Amino acid sequence: MKEFEYAQGFWNSYTAGVALGLVLLLCFYLMGTGLGASGPMARAAAVTAHLVAPQAVESNGYFKSFYKPGKKHPFVNWMVFEVIGIFIGGVIAVLTARRFRPEVARGPRAGVGLRLILAFVGGIIGGIGTRFAMGCTSGQALSGGATMVVGSWVFMMVVFAAAFGVALIVRRQWL
Amino acid sequence: MTGPLYILGSFSYGTSLVIAVVIGILFGFVLERAGFGDARNITNLFYFRDMRVLRVMFSALVTAMVGLIVLSWVGLFDYSVLLQYALVKTYLWPSIVGGLLFGVAFAVGGY
Repeated sequence: MKEFEYAQGFWNSYTAGVALGLVLLLCFYLMGTGLGASGPMARAAAVTAHLVAPQAVESNGYFKSFYKPGKKHPFVNWMVFEVIGIFIGGVIAVLTARRFRPEVARGPRAGVGLRLILAFVGGIIGGIGTRFAMGCTSGQALSGGATMVVGSWVFMMVVFAAAFGVALIVRRQWL
Repeated sequence: MTGPLYILGSFSYGTSLVIAVVIGILFGFVLERAGFGDARNITNLFYFRDMRVLRVMFSALVTAMVGLIVLSWVGLFDYSVLLQYALVKTYLWPSIVGGLLFGVAFAVGGY
């Protein structure tokens, strides 16, 4: 199989998969919940908006649950701490693989501008998507999938179906 | 000891936050080494150039799934606690709508 240049130091797929599964299992055993990533993004949005318009955030149907009176700051949250850990772990992994370098990952024919615009647009669409589905590939697909939650499996299948379809349109960005 | 430890009251909220950082570090490290930190690796899947993402993801799913079942067989994990308190609830239409949006973003944004 062709070796991709960016893949230096990547583990064998199945080794990585089993390791990932064991981390998830450990998390379930210790905490009783799975891993996640998108919740803290919503909290970060709430905290940012709260700086400018506290009233609007505290009366907003979705955000107000983060700001109930007497509650801890929205960042004092299990998943927020977990995401901080993810960042640290990722940095350690990339440094120890001697692969650390600033770059904008994209296909050979795509410009940096196009890639950044599409990343931004994708981020917005994906962020909205995670609030509908109550999770992303970590919280829904991985954690819900491993506990055989029907909604998570539906989410996963729809995600891949949509991604394979839309990939045809954004082909220039990646290939 | 029977898990899930935190829900069954084996340690405090403060301890759980420390555990959060440790589990996060493990998760982040493995994700990066699995290749989930690079958009090119992820999107290669959508053009059938490299199926690594699917292999990693589904071997992780199966590992955790089998692990949970085995742990509950040997009495180290109480699945009913999970069902009662912690399991993600299914809302079918939001899952479909969210999945469509997230799937579009997966290909457009790369993650």
